[in-house]
Amino acid sequence: MTPPGSDLGRTGLTAVLGLLAAWEVLGRLDLSMFVPPVSEVAVAWWRLLGDGTLSRAAASSLVSLVKGFVPAAVLGVVVGLGMGRFRTVRYVLDGWVNALMSAPLSALVPILIALFGIRDTVVAATVFLFSFFVIVVNTLTGVRGTDRALVEMARVFGAGEAALFRRIYLPAALPAIMLGVRLGAVQAVKGMVVGEMLISLVGLGERLIYYGNTFLITELYAVIVSVLLLALLASQLAQAADRALVRWK
Amino acid sequence: MARVTAAPAPVPIVVEGVSKAFGAVQALLDVHVRVGAGEFLGLIGPSGCGKTTLLKTIAGLVRADAGRVTVGGRTVAGPGRECSVVFQDFALLPWATAQRNVEFGLLLRGAPGAERAATARRVIAKVGLAGFEDAYPSQLSGGMQQRVGLARALAVNPQVLLLDEPFASIDEQTRRLFQDDLLRLWSEERKTVLLVTHSMEEAVYLADRVVVLSPRPGRVHAVLDVPLPRPRESSDVRATAEFAGLVDGLWKILRKLQ
Repeated sequence: MTPPGSDLGRTGLTAVLGLLAAWEVLGRLDLSMFVPPVSEVAVAWWRLLGDGTLSRAAASSLVSLVKGFVPAAVLGVVVGLGMGRFRTVRYVLDGWVNALMSAPLSALVPILIALFGIRDTVVAATVFLFSFFVIVVNTLTGVRGTDRALVEMARVFGAGEAALFRRIYLPAALPAIMLGVRLGAVQAVKGMVVGEMLISLVGLGERLIYYGNTFLITELYAVIVSVLLLALLASQLAQAADRALVRWK
Repeated sequence: MARVTAAPAPVPIVVEGVSKAFGAVQALLDVHVRVGAGEFLGLIGPSGCGKTTLLKTIAGLVRADAGRVTVGGRTVAGPGRECSVVFQDFALLPWATAQRNVEFGLLLRGAPGAERAATARRVIAKVGLAGFEDAYPSQLSGGMQQRVGLARALAVNPQVLLLDEPFASIDEQTRRLFQDDLLRLWSEERKTVLLVTHSMEEAVYLADRVVVLSPRPGRVHAVLDVPLPRPRESSDVRATAEFAGLVDGLWKILRKLQ
């Protein structure tokens, strides 16, 4: 990340402001009802925030996000460590992980609905599916990339399997794990929106569908902006955790 | 428990008929070596002759296909408390400070926290790194990193020190100073030392005897005595005709093996 005062930060800010200005001009030209001026979107966003619509939807979304992402991160790291360390586990799971990582996971949401019913649990499950595999694969890569010399060194000093895990493999894989968590956090927001749109019951995703179907385009943009902000926030949080945990890099 | 008090008496290493193959490659064949208690033995040979494999077999990291290794009478079946290893590429934990790296062996051997910290601090000072306790490996030069590696090996107070080409990735000037420090430390606390190296000068300068391994399959080809007087570290041993003669003798043996 660049400090806000730096040249790079200023360039980035200029680019964003330019984009917003272009959007405003385009909207004012009134070319299409699907491109409202950004100022109107901002007003709508403020109004929806004020009357509680956005905060209610965002709160519901955040709960699903946490309920899906936290288990995905914990389990993803555990499964990734297991696959990285034990050949049998890797052989059994490798095909599944690779297939499901590249598969369009939205296709599984109908199955989740059949399993859980039309409930917010489906959203949490979608979040889990979207973020789990990238965390597994990154953890696995991190463990596999552990310097052999460090393992031998630890063994010379008497490390058993448990000590190797805790003292060598886990810290060695930590940068890769944190990268996986960051990518996973962004995926989790995608999963959240996809899940909510498909069940159309709760959260920001439901608002997207509702405003889309009712042609309230300005409100629709206000929700889209909220989703973008949420994704940005998730990524920034994960990055902060990364910096706090991997200080030695 | 790891007692880190008085230096334990050095113990001999006995390698009897050790053979080791990796797949189709015969790395070691019927190797017999004896390192006396407190002796400094050099192990030299062409690249790929199994020097490092022999060292790892003694350390308990590699299991021999045939033969037996004993360290201080104990048959080696895995890593034991008698041996410490200094690694060629240092093998330092990049996420830990010098202090934590030096404590690492003590930590794995179950020494309590206060004792670990005190011992590590003392050994770090001994290898000339006082003041660098909180530096991460990436902030240290190669020579300093290997000093951390040596301190880590010494911190557990081993009876046997196994050095696997410890100076190979260190520049010449730093290497010479480091070699002298190693000799000084060795004369202070006699340990049995096995040094794997590919430098003839280094082997002659440091060791009491030099064992020459032949290329694949590795077996003992020759043993050269180094009768140079000690201490060598403060004298100009390298400039003597005797030193040059010994290095030349070693070269004559090695040349025929290439």
